[in-house]
Amino acid sequence: MRNTTTGWLLIAPTLFILFVTGMLPFLYVLAVGFFDWNTFAQNPDPQFSGVNNFRALVFDAAFLKSLWLTLKFTLFVLVSQLVIGFFLAKMLLRDMPLKGLFRTIHTLPLMIAPIAVGATWRLMTVPGLGPIPHWMQQWFDVNYILSRFPDQAFATVVVMDIWHWTPLVTLTLMAGLSNLPDEPLEQARIDGASEWRIFWDITLPFLKPVVLTTVFIRLMDALRTVDEVWMLTGGGPGAETRFIGLHIWRVVFPKTDYGYGSAMSLITLYLTIVMCWLLYVAMTGMKEKTR
Amino acid sequence: MLKLMLATSAIALALAAPARADFWSDAGAKLQGVTIRGVSESTPPSNYVRDVLAPQFTEKTGIKVEFETTSWDQMFDKAIKDMEANSGIYDFVYIEQDIIYSYLARDFLVDLTQLMQDKPELAAPEFKVEEFTTFIDNFRGEDGHIFGVPMEAFIKVYLYRKDLFEDPAHKDAFKAKYGYDLAPATTFDQWRDNAEYFANLSQDDELWGTTVQASSGHPAAFYEFFESIAPTYGVYDWGIDAAKGAATVEKGGRMNSPEAKEALRFWVGLLDFAPPEATASTWDEVASTFAAGRAAQGWVYGENAAWVATNPEKSTVVGKVGVAMPPMAEGVMEAAEKGEGYVGYYDGGAFGIPHSSKNKEAALLWLQFIGQPSVQADWAVAGSRVVHQATFDDPKVKEVDAKADGYFTMMKDKGHLFKGAPAFPFHAQVREAVAPFIYEAIVGSLTPEDALDQAAAAAEAELAKLGYGAN
Repeated sequence: MRNTTTGWLLIAPTLFILFVTGMLPFLYVLAVGFFDWNTFAQNPDPQFSGVNNFRALVFDAAFLKSLWLTLKFTLFVLVSQLVIGFFLAKMLLRDMPLKGLFRTIHTLPLMIAPIAVGATWRLMTVPGLGPIPHWMQQWFDVNYILSRFPDQAFATVVVMDIWHWTPLVTLTLMAGLSNLPDEPLEQARIDGASEWRIFWDITLPFLKPVVLTTVFIRLMDALRTVDEVWMLTGGGPGAETRFIGLHIWRVVFPKTDYGYGSAMSLITLYLTIVMCWLLYVAMTGMKEKTR
Repeated sequence: MLKLMLATSAIALALAAPARADFWSDAGAKLQGVTIRGVSESTPPSNYVRDVLAPQFTEKTGIKVEFETTSWDQMFDKAIKDMEANSGIYDFVYIEQDIIYSYLARDFLVDLTQLMQDKPELAAPEFKVEEFTTFIDNFRGEDGHIFGVPMEAFIKVYLYRKDLFEDPAHKDAFKAKYGYDLAPATTFDQWRDNAEYFANLSQDDELWGTTVQASSGHPAAFYEFFESIAPTYGVYDWGIDAAKGAATVEKGGRMNSPEAKEALRFWVGLLDFAPPEATASTWDEVASTFAAGRAAQGWVYGENAAWVATNPEKSTVVGKVGVAMPPMAEGVMEAAEKGEGYVGYYDGGAFGIPHSSKNKEAALLWLQFIGQPSVQADWAVAGSRVVHQATFDDPKVKEVDAKADGYFTMMKDKGHLFKGAPAFPFHAQVREAVAPFIYEAIVGSLTPEDALDQAAAAAEAELAKLGYGAN
């Protein structure tokens, strides 16, 4: 009993901080989501509107497009980062000259703030100033103008995110790979298993907890991407890179539509939780199956 | 002997007494050590405030000024959140002419006239409201009291490259191709022809026909279209009838009128002759593009006119800049002269005191300091802004005016034909609803006609949601 009380006392400050910084804002947003509240409306006071904000979201083409773009972006960056990250992790675990230097260089993007990454990429992609449009024209005869061609903008945002966050995936996979037990791998090789078979049947199942954790982190990050994209494209051209975080920002801040923006935030949070849960079930289900 | 004693005493008293202070040091005496904080957009006039006027004010009053110059979006974001939350972070904020109506509707700002009446000891003798241009009227409340001290005002003008337009070889080539003389455009067709001619000169010369402020993800595009282009086609106030809450033609608005559609078609069509950065250009990039010699003509915010025309450290077209009135459709000039319309955008802003400020008295002194006549001329030279009538006649300003092809003269003589944003309390909300359709038109995913039809419907829906008009 005494131990339990002491335990609660010890974690009480943490719980308090979590409640104040996490739960209270969430409860506030939850409440605001049920109000029609724009401070520049004829009536600037919050008006209770029930579930109208949530109902309107279902028919809001801009919101749905933004959601779809976000999911597409998340899928592209997650798969790419996992694949590239795995190969980089395998490569950087091998003995080779200047391995430490390569590892350090490879990790550098992680140290840069997302807003600075966006600014750097913007400078590199501005027509007439940045090197990328110049090279694209010189080498591939491509008229590269992010602010005019939606496909180019989307692809560049994806590549920027891969460049920025793949090192995180590499690092976690390196940790996982370096902790793999040697015996099963050696036995498989003695039995003549192919590299693909070893990867699929031994490496991947052992790596699953690491992969799951990495995917969760990256999934949640990708779904709430704002600053890099805001800096690089501002959500344009048109609304072609206006991912959900950016869309919510525009609704809540410049448009000051607090009720509707809160409803969007809640739906996005709900979708994130659902996606994580589905992923968890799918991956742990796979684990059960492999047993 | 008595006289000698009196004289000696007088000298002694004079030496012993503190030096006679001026108004600023007297008024600032009780506020010594106070720090006031402000936020504004990073523009030439604001940068002059930060670098020159703020240190001068501190030196005279002992009041420190922390002045944050940031991006346009961030500035509004920070100021509005501060005033809404009543947090009192800022003691003065930039109030753009177009946002004042929203701020007044929310009682965000301190009544400066009232504050000066309540604190006569803080009313600077040099500060006189009647010396300002009529631009100050934008910052008056219903009772005529002022809520902001203008710090910048300019018109969005037509800049063109005089050296190119006056080049005999270009004149001959242009006439041979188009059948009439090369000249600054007075019609939209002429603007297009000029743009096409210069854009097609050579692919390697880094010269394009026109600037277009057509950022495909920034409200700057919305502003250029609705505040500079559409009015020249006779579509005023964004095509919105605020009383009716109408934007569509069906309900009495003009946002999707044939004239508006023709205007958007013309403007989007100019992208064929604009430099590749046009679809990423806000007002800053347009000025930079012109200053870099990458465009033969363009609509450029007047706050940049002086440095583009006169500063060789920042501009490659010094001495080559011409200034003219923008082209306009038939009847628009007549309507503007009668006060029934306008020919372009008269922009600017003021500094005001948020109701949440914790240092209102010090901020009041500061606003009067930047509003006094003696600081205006140098500020005008640095930032192409004029808010005092007398500034136009200052020798320093006249000197720059001559180098800038009469920009200030045009502002003085023709400024009344231009107009700021409409007095909408729902400014940002409708802009955010409409702008995405303009972006879609820019990138070609919507035709200009569809874009404006959808924009007008979205504007009406937003007005109805906000409770404005008879919708």
